[in-house]
Amino acid sequence: MSVTLKALLKSPWVFHLSTGSCNNCDIEILDCLTPRFDIERFGMKLAGSIRHADVLLVTGSCNRKSMVRVKNIYEEQVPKPCVVVAVGECSMSRGMFVHSYNCPMPLDKYIPVDVYIPGCPPKPEAIIAGVVKLITKLKGTL
Amino acid sequence: MTRDAVLQDLKGKFREDILDFSDKSPKRVYIEIKPEVLVPAATYIFKDLGARFHIASGLDARTHLEILYHFSIETMNLLISLRVKLDKKNPKVDSLANVIKGANWIEREIHELLGIDFPGHPDLHRLLLAREWPEGVYPLRADYKEWDKKAIRDRGV
Repeated sequence: MSVTLKALLKSPWVFHLSTGSCNNCDIEILDCLTPRFDIERFGMKLAGSIRHADVLLVTGSCNRKSMVRVKNIYEEQVPKPCVVVAVGECSMSRGMFVHSYNCPMPLDKYIPVDVYIPGCPPKPEAIIAGVVKLITKLKGTL
Repeated sequence: MTRDAVLQDLKGKFREDILDFSDKSPKRVYIEIKPEVLVPAATYIFKDLGARFHIASGLDARTHLEILYHFSIETMNLLISLRVKLDKKNPKVDSLANVIKGANWIEREIHELLGIDFPGHPDLHRLLLAREWPEGVYPLRADYKEWDKKAIRDRGV
């Protein structure tokens, strides 16, 4: 295992990106940081800037305008290696917005997604389980 | 002024131009007027009656396009909705943006989503839609057809 990856898995910093969600997923993500769920015990914390982050956490229904920004962030700004986590039904299949004129494609057609956490919104337990699974998977492969 | 005085005043001032007057409830009045007199009527309600302009809402009905301009007079707890019905072939109504500043953006939004033209608007360019969106395609029209060949409309399962 490379030193970079080891450091990444020890304490992954998460950048939380909303592509036009209803804020329910965002509230559940913030719940993960509260003392009740306390995601910092896995070393995870929210980063203020994408340039400090190891994990890109995307919520929301991927509309035409925000996906330009998401692509820009993923391709040019985030330091690699970076893993992408899609949280909520909207970012995976667009949920109820699947026929919307403004949401042509799901997130994984724009950028590669590593973990999908389903739910509308997913429970904090589900989010934690998803990210822990991701860490185990990355540890196993390398 | 009381509620009745205000409504009598409006009826008297725009007698020929009011096509339909429906007094729905103590709080709510719908007034359908001719599109030509929208600007004087709205100016009168906004400036002289001291109403607040909330929002305008556009609608694609079966036979026509229509816009509802919602005004409220708080002192008498009254919502006045001015309704204009527009022709589907050439939807056009004078802009309110020069009288009411708050009407500027909602007219731009109605213009791009429903394709209604607002002559006299100071700056009628795109507000919300993406840059690659084609001209002349209006997503909230009932006859809107998918134009994007790359769009995926199944859930991939």
